[in-house]
Amino acid sequence: MNPPVAGDICPPQRYTHSTVQLFRFSAVSWNSHRIHYDAGFAASEGFPGAVVQSTLHGETLTRYALAWAGPNSLLETVSWRNRTTAVAGEPLTWTGTVQAVEGARVSLEVAVLKADGTPCVTGTVQIALV
Amino acid sequence: MNVLDEVLTRARSLVDRWEDEDCGTVTVKDFCRYAAALNDADYIDRARKREATGEPVEAPALFLAATMSWEDGPPERELRPDGLAARESPCTMGLPVRQVHGGQTVRLLRGPVAGSRVTASRAVTSAERKQGRSGAFVLLGLTTRFTSADGTELTAVDETIVVMEALDSPGAP
Repeated sequence: MNPPVAGDICPPQRYTHSTVQLFRFSAVSWNSHRIHYDAGFAASEGFPGAVVQSTLHGETLTRYALAWAGPNSLLETVSWRNRTTAVAGEPLTWTGTVQAVEGARVSLEVAVLKADGTPCVTGTVQIALV
Repeated sequence: MNVLDEVLTRARSLVDRWEDEDCGTVTVKDFCRYAAALNDADYIDRARKREATGEPVEAPALFLAATMSWEDGPPERELRPDGLAARESPCTMGLPVRQVHGGQTVRLLRGPVAGSRVTASRAVTSAERKQGRSGAFVLLGLTTRFTSADGTELTAVDETIVVMEALDSPGAP
């Protein structure tokens, strides 16, 4: 990869979280909130399916950024805001744009988009290239 | 007093009251199970190889931040109807509310290594009543700082939680 410069656009990544993944992530993170694995209960709170965990979104934002930056990259900070919910089985797309490069530190503006392009999560990832 | 006012009152009484929680000694198995839930077979392979050769094994970057609670947890009968425990929902016990995460900021300072004992220090840092497109809500701010036994800060998490009235609650949208 060429050294990143501000304005670089990362290749988008398409993915879907399965119901099984949401259950396993809830189990391993000791999160028993029913909206994440009980679609019937989620519907009673107004959601169209089992809701993707906020922290799983954070993982996605981070992991695709680190994968883009390559094996010699370390996460320093990740910050995100949940704008609307995503649910199990929903097609999602991760996007990233280089916001700034200061020495070995790269800041990316990242987002998770729904199929219609609506952002459900937006944030920043700061990576150190080592 | 309505439900959100009660949440606000409870939350404000907790602001800046720090509580420590022993996360226990983190293990390679903890890390690998977390990685498995993320379909990260490469991490598991690397971690187990390092473990086999006696090298330190560092946790996946967001391992501490993503774990919702480190307590043993209550039996099911003591959970709220939405599945959350009192510890995970400190201002809402007994109240008809819905809640979702607003967002998080996670700063990685030093990766926790398998075999180390970790402490989480947590406090409510703010509580505000807000008005959104779908109605009124309370925005709770929480901070958690994870440290190792020698006091080294490992990870710092600032998060917000959106608390709304339950859909079947009087006054809910």
